[in-house]
Amino acid sequence: MAAPATGDWHTINVEIPLPSNKHALIVKQVIEVDAELQPNAVKRELSVQDDRLIATFHTLTVRLARLTLNAFLENVDLVVRTIEEFSGNSSTARRTLQGTAE
Amino acid sequence: MPALLKQFGPLKNPDHPLLALGLEGSANKLGAGVIKHAPDGSSMVLSNVRHTYITPPGEGFQPRDTALHHRQWAFKVIREALDSAGISLSDLDCICYTKGPGMGAPLQSVALIARTLSLLHDKPLVGVNHCVGHIEMGREITGAKNPVVLYVSGGNTQVIAYSRQCYRIFGETLDIAVGNCLDRFARVLNLSNSPSPGYNIEQEAKRGKRLVSLPYTTKGMDISLSGILTAIEAYTQDKRFRPDGLPKFTDDQDIITPADLCFSLQETVFSMLVEITERAMAHIGSKEVLIVGGVGCNERLQEMMGIMARERDGQVFATDERFCIDNGIMIAQAGLLGYRMGMTTPLTKSTCTQRIEIKFDRFRTDEVHVTWRA
Repeated sequence: MAAPATGDWHTINVEIPLPSNKHALIVKQVIEVDAELQPNAVKRELSVQDDRLIATFHTLTVRLARLTLNAFLENVDLVVRTIEEFSGNSSTARRTLQGTAE
Repeated sequence: MPALLKQFGPLKNPDHPLLALGLEGSANKLGAGVIKHAPDGSSMVLSNVRHTYITPPGEGFQPRDTALHHRQWAFKVIREALDSAGISLSDLDCICYTKGPGMGAPLQSVALIARTLSLLHDKPLVGVNHCVGHIEMGREITGAKNPVVLYVSGGNTQVIAYSRQCYRIFGETLDIAVGNCLDRFARVLNLSNSPSPGYNIEQEAKRGKRLVSLPYTTKGMDISLSGILTAIEAYTQDKRFRPDGLPKFTDDQDIITPADLCFSLQETVFSMLVEITERAMAHIGSKEVLIVGGVGCNERLQEMMGIMARERDGQVFATDERFCIDNGIMIAQAGLLGYRMGMTTPLTKSTCTQRIEIKFDRFRTDEVHVTWRA
């Protein structure tokens, strides 16, 4: 692998508020299982602070930044909707996906 | 292995009823099903729900669009499977999902849902090999004891025989799957993809009268199909070909119709499949054939296999479209068998594997340790 995740690389930070710390942990654990398809060109860091899921991506190109973020948000959407549909107390999982990109 | 174990098999009857949810989405079918294993050793299908992504005539299904379909339909299908089984997620003993092989994006979509359900309700996950799912469901439904398995679908063509806790691949296609060959020819003819292109080929073939000459390509235990597809496609450019199937003028006798081509294609490729299956039967001395996979519900294939089996004093076992075509219940069945032998998939290992080819990240039928059989 050539360049470290600095310099020319592009960085995206996303913060996703979730109804609870438990839900944030579930989303993180579920998504973390699948490695990024191009580990040489995309670095992903996921963490949870209280009820927020924090994702940081370092990518080699702008195109990869767009694709990676798109795929990530689609996956978050699917997991959140699954929680909403099947958690039993479904009212809590609404009003998500109001992330901030920098 | 001690004689006693061998006789009864390693699988013990459960001491209480076990319930498993199976989620399947390796290709264009999204399936969910619930199976119950009772303490007396019997199994019962509680629900089996499926939704198929159907593309317009002339088009195949692309990974991204198929994944989108699964993401849109998953909740409805899972909800219906649970409701018609009359259970809730908390009643389950395990959640089974297709680990592979299949298309990456659709597999991953279903795996994400399976993981979330597993964490939400604290249920163990079981990753299932798609091919083993087909085989176990076929065995369960038909009661075949130790058959040679012909697994024919849109993505796989394998002749399989069980030996020493492994489904060993006797022969397989060297290039494309038989279902892929039929589906792609259906696209050339612009046949409908509803309910499936293979079904429409089968209906068309019933009206075929003329057997056109095609390559016959069995290669030992293996077969090759891509050349046959090219050859049959070439007939649609032949000057005797009539796309509408009708003569152009009176006395227009020497014509080739779409029905003739469907008939010829089926006869040729099914003969090849019957040949390699018969060879496998001769090798292992089995008199039973089990046909599984989407192409397995083709009645002409079942009929031809039946003729061969009868000549060998054998028997063919096949199922109908509910269990032949990809479904959730087969994943539940194979997964629950594994679960009863203590096989679960930890969350961090619950990835998907696309490939069946011989590469680094593969998940072939013969890589599964079949612990539940003697």
